[in-house]
Amino acid sequence: MIVSIDWLKDYIDIDMSLDDLAEKLTIAGLECVVKEVGKSIPEGVVVGKVLERKAHPNAESLSVCKVDVGGEDILNIVCGAPNVDAGQFVPVATLGTQLTPDFQIKAVKLRGEPSVGMICAEDELGLGNDHSGIIVLEGEHEIGKPFGDYFTSSKILDIDITANRPDAMSHWGVAREIAAITGKEFKKIPISLDEQGPSINDIANINIESTDGCPRYTARVVQNVKIGPSPKWMVDRLEALGLRSINNVVDASNYVLMETGHPLHAFDFDKLKGHAVNVRFAHKDEKLTTIDHKERELSQDMLLICDGEEAVALAGIMGGTQSEVSDDTVNVLIESAYFTPAAIRKGSKQQQLSTDASKRFERGTDPNETLIYAQDRLASLIMELAGGTLAKGLIDIYPEPIEPLTASLRIDHVKRVTGIDISKDDCKLTLERLEFDVIKDEDNTLTVKIPTFRPDVEREIDLIEEVLRINNLDKIPSMSRMTISVAEEYDKFHPFLTGLRNFFVGYGMHEAVNNSLVNETVATSGIWGYTPLKILNPLSAEMNMLRTDMVQPLLGSLRSNALKKRNNIRLFELANVIEKNDFSETHAVEHYNLGVLCSAPVWGLNWTGEDKPADIFYMKGILEHLLASLNFNYKLKENTNRDEFEILYDIVVKKAVIGKIGQYKMEQFEKLQLQYPLVVMELQVGKLFNWYNPKKQYDPVPQFPSIFRDMSLVMDKTSKAAGIFNEIKQNGGKYLVDLVLYDVYIDDEKLGKDKKALSLRLEFRSDEKTLKDEVIDDVMNKLFERLKNQYGAQLR
Amino acid sequence: MIKDTILEVQKQFKEALALAQDPLALEEIKNTFLGRKGKVASLFSTMGDIPAEERKVVGQLLNKLKIDLQSDFDAKISGFTSNTLKKEWVDYTLPGYSMPKGSRHPLTQAVDDMLSIFQRLGFDIAYGPEVETDWFNFESLNFPPNHPARDMQDTFYTEGGGILRTHTSPVQTRYMSKHEPPVRIVAPGRVFRNEAISARSYCLFHQIEGLYIDTDITFADLKGTIELFCRMYYGKDVKIKFRTSYFPFTEPSAEVDVSCFLCGGKGCRVCKNTGWLEIMGCGMVDPNVMKAVNYDSEKYTGYAFGLGVERMVMMRLGINDIRLLFENDVEFLRQF
Repeated sequence: MIVSIDWLKDYIDIDMSLDDLAEKLTIAGLECVVKEVGKSIPEGVVVGKVLERKAHPNAESLSVCKVDVGGEDILNIVCGAPNVDAGQFVPVATLGTQLTPDFQIKAVKLRGEPSVGMICAEDELGLGNDHSGIIVLEGEHEIGKPFGDYFTSSKILDIDITANRPDAMSHWGVAREIAAITGKEFKKIPISLDEQGPSINDIANINIESTDGCPRYTARVVQNVKIGPSPKWMVDRLEALGLRSINNVVDASNYVLMETGHPLHAFDFDKLKGHAVNVRFAHKDEKLTTIDHKERELSQDMLLICDGEEAVALAGIMGGTQSEVSDDTVNVLIESAYFTPAAIRKGSKQQQLSTDASKRFERGTDPNETLIYAQDRLASLIMELAGGTLAKGLIDIYPEPIEPLTASLRIDHVKRVTGIDISKDDCKLTLERLEFDVIKDEDNTLTVKIPTFRPDVEREIDLIEEVLRINNLDKIPSMSRMTISVAEEYDKFHPFLTGLRNFFVGYGMHEAVNNSLVNETVATSGIWGYTPLKILNPLSAEMNMLRTDMVQPLLGSLRSNALKKRNNIRLFELANVIEKNDFSETHAVEHYNLGVLCSAPVWGLNWTGEDKPADIFYMKGILEHLLASLNFNYKLKENTNRDEFEILYDIVVKKAVIGKIGQYKMEQFEKLQLQYPLVVMELQVGKLFNWYNPKKQYDPVPQFPSIFRDMSLVMDKTSKAAGIFNEIKQNGGKYLVDLVLYDVYIDDEKLGKDKKALSLRLEFRSDEKTLKDEVIDDVMNKLFERLKNQYGAQLR
Repeated sequence: MIKDTILEVQKQFKEALALAQDPLALEEIKNTFLGRKGKVASLFSTMGDIPAEERKVVGQLLNKLKIDLQSDFDAKISGFTSNTLKKEWVDYTLPGYSMPKGSRHPLTQAVDDMLSIFQRLGFDIAYGPEVETDWFNFESLNFPPNHPARDMQDTFYTEGGGILRTHTSPVQTRYMSKHEPPVRIVAPGRVFRNEAISARSYCLFHQIEGLYIDTDITFADLKGTIELFCRMYYGKDVKIKFRTSYFPFTEPSAEVDVSCFLCGGKGCRVCKNTGWLEIMGCGMVDPNVMKAVNYDSEKYTGYAFGLGVERMVMMRLGINDIRLLFENDVEFLRQF
């Protein structure tokens, strides 16, 4: 919303700087900045005449010019423009001109030639983007004339109006705010109407069929107008607001809208069949071509203005071409009506058409005083600008008048909410300045009638906001001593997540944040196999579903990094994945998951010469560390359902699959030319958190020494280590506390074909005594016997 | 008497050790003091002459002497070994073994920083779902159906009648509907807006919501809390400014500006020469919101606030394209 300062002064005296004014309005709720519109040329830029042009002795592309700018001296100016020539009239920035905040014109030497000023191109004066040459004025001009005289500019306030303040979408509204802040009087332009024409009831026929969409409709008719251009003052004022001048009648209607905030419509009265107006909702299959030349198909909740036969306007949104005021128009019907916000909002949404009128109606206009003032004001303006005769009387259909609401303000409640004492007198003063009518003034209570142009105010709390926002908001102290209400329970989830984050950062991983919105391919290839939840109104097909796992979006991140030739990718992310589930109220079940993706070496290139690609065993190691630190026992169960994986496991905790860990087949990602294996992991950490029991008591620290025994077993290459481990753990006896695999060795010659050797170190310890070698020898012998029988293992 | 001798031996040893410059000298010291016929050994051999009642004490002293001298000697010799006697020359300027360096995402880091400030101020953390009902996201927060205020937040609708929450404010009414006052929470989370993606807006961002309801909470408490938060987050010299605004779920409502942390209020690129940065919306909880969760607004008052994490992170780090935060380019991520 733009208001012009010059225009504003018709209604209110402004005796402070515009920056102060903007600041005060902003604090009161009209966030605004002062701007200059039109072309403003910096001071010091004047018209000059190029008397002489010579080539620069030291630079081919430069010229040395003698320029007369009307001063005592002829200026020597070096110019780089190809089009400069003797005899031209040009804009010259003279010494001291502040061309931009960082650029002031100073006397300089350019390649050895003195230059005292600058001949300007379009872009240098902010007049356009052209920098191909200097501006050359056509014809003869007064030398030394300020170049700014060729342009007009005016100051405006650019206001960001919040959705609750339709009243402020006009010069009146802003003037009223200033009046409330400063105490100055808000003045309306007085109107006197000379009704010389026939009685309007004899010439026009108005009916409201749908009063639920249109509670009030008023009409006046001006006959014998002369359509033509608007006077300059009107054109300037509208242009300052960014409105294009059309003709005197249409401009007058826009002018009154911007003045009062009440949208109006002027019809070509003779194009209304039967000189009739009817307000009703659209019938089935009805169509209308609006003044933007679009043929619109209307749904049955579209409120229409119709003539005796058909639709002529989308009520409160936009007029139709057929009844539009044109150069041939002679008689004009002025509509000033109140349409309900709901009706206009529906129509505007459905047609995807938002206009100056619809924006105000859907937020709520004043059905009473402003509506009538706007009607009369437009009639008077049309007669002023286009002549004509005003028909006698006003047609005003208003079957159920909308009465102003009343509300009471308890003065002690002002403090209860704001924390400061605002006296009853202060409250009263502010409310009265805002045109609230105090109808009862008791000890602790003010009862007011709320003006109908303020649909945002209904209750006591709204009145409290009014007295707070006008001049009192910055009086509220910041409490430096506050009471604290202590919660009975406190959150442990966030610290849990922070722990996880730090854990993965410690492994050299970067935390990622991915979009929750993904395309269908990504959503349907999630590793949990959830049905994805669809977005009904997506931004694009690329984002029409919610992600069903963490891994697929991380693969997307991997891809975009790989395309930039980044390798060495380690990423993790914590977020919700969403499963469509019809038993939920929102048809969504959210799982808070951790995703991890790695395509990198374990350590990276370094001088020890030791490194390894981070493969599935790397990820298994991280998983082992993580779950051990959270005191979870888990099992890995091979999952063969996904072809894209070289190996994939379900991670099972408490008999539930709470995660996946796997390594992709390299050929899946050939295009990315990954240099390292691609391994991923996903864990339902929300579920793990619910099960998580931090260790409550410590285990006694071992008092007796451990006995270590190594065992090197030769067996078939295809024997699985996991089986051997289980075997040893289950049969290692109560003293076995740890088992480490420290070598896997394959050598067809030394071990035999298809054989391998596993070297294991077993640690035995007792909490009660120092173990005797014989006891452990016995355990080791029995273990070996078992492994020999079960796996055909031989000692190496 | 024997104690004096012990002290004397210790002194001599220390002097000799300090003077020793080469392994040969060390060898000699070892023989003189700690050898089989050295001074310590000869002191032990006098034990027989000590009266029985003192023998235990003297024995302890001698043992201690022996241990002390040996450890001093070991320290000296190991210094020699590592500094001068090592056979192989090692280049200690070689870099340390390389460890992959991980990093936290700047967004979650900022969320943590902010949450920990609010936790110090006594707020608990609460959560809510990302797929919300219209009632929690809008109606309970005093957005009537078909109200233009709903246009402030372009909404994604999901199949089955849910919506993607457009703000973290529904956590307010979710929490209130399960807890009696007093309530004092902050709620972090993802929110979604159906807006075209550009350098300045993304379809998803993070918010932190705050809510405090009790019997005597005023706008002054809100102002004090916000000011304290800003001082803790931006530094003690920050200035704040409240200006009236509009949110359906608070009345009165305000926006909070802080003096630009980069230029201190003089005006710069980050604050677009205004000297101020808009950081959050806030206000007193609207009685209609209390009514929606059956709180008595004649008995309780409260405040709520909400801030956009991306905005604050972008301002702070000088990021001018929000999409950078969701691209997960490792060259970006590794900086934090």
